[in-house]
Amino acid sequence: MARAQWPLQHGRPIIEIVLTLAQGAQKVTRRLLADTGAGAMHDPFDIVLDEVDCLMCGGKPSKMVPLGGSYSGTHPIYVIPIGIPSLGFRDSLFAVGVAAPPAGFDGIACFRFLNRFTYGNFGNANEFALET
Amino acid sequence: MATATSIQQLNRDLADKLVEEAKLDLPSWPLGKFVGIANGHVIVVSDDLDEIVSQLERAEPDPSRTFVVEPGRDYTKVCEIWRIS
Repeated sequence: MARAQWPLQHGRPIIEIVLTLAQGAQKVTRRLLADTGAGAMHDPFDIVLDEVDCLMCGGKPSKMVPLGGSYSGTHPIYVIPIGIPSLGFRDSLFAVGVAAPPAGFDGIACFRFLNRFTYGNFGNANEFALET
Repeated sequence: MATATSIQQLNRDLADKLVEEAKLDLPSWPLGKFVGIANGHVIVVSDDLDEIVSQLERAEPDPSRTFVVEPGRDYTKVCEIWRIS
């Protein structure tokens, strides 16, 4: 069992993921708002990312998806490998590419992704954590 | 040689065709079964997305010439991302 925890950012729960750039294989870290209200369990995406990041990581295109709520209109989905090193997690995910992630964050970790883990503050009100 | 744009359109057209065909045989296309397409052709069918990615990278290193689709999925359904206040 592994746990990764992150301090709240702007008073909100976040996770950090590692992306690999297609050019040069450089690793970059992105902070995603952990949002259980983002999408449903059976929606076709795990995370929301800036579309520029999706393309820089060599994301493989998939279908467009219509969004409602914080985002409207249809948006492209990409398949992107991501990692959370402190959890020993590495997998390919479906990322919705948007023009503007939420202010102060690099994207959103949606419910479908969070629900892969045990998640919460585990008793520390100033942190959010994922546990395998 | 086909341009990247025309390859992308070929890939999208094939993906749309697979989604339409899946509607006629849904039990054969459960959610979580994916198809990897490159240069207008099906390269791999798998329920392992990492397998799809690695086979596509072997077949075509340019990601813009590839496409991934889940034929059993309804891509017309609106997905709600509730407002962040």
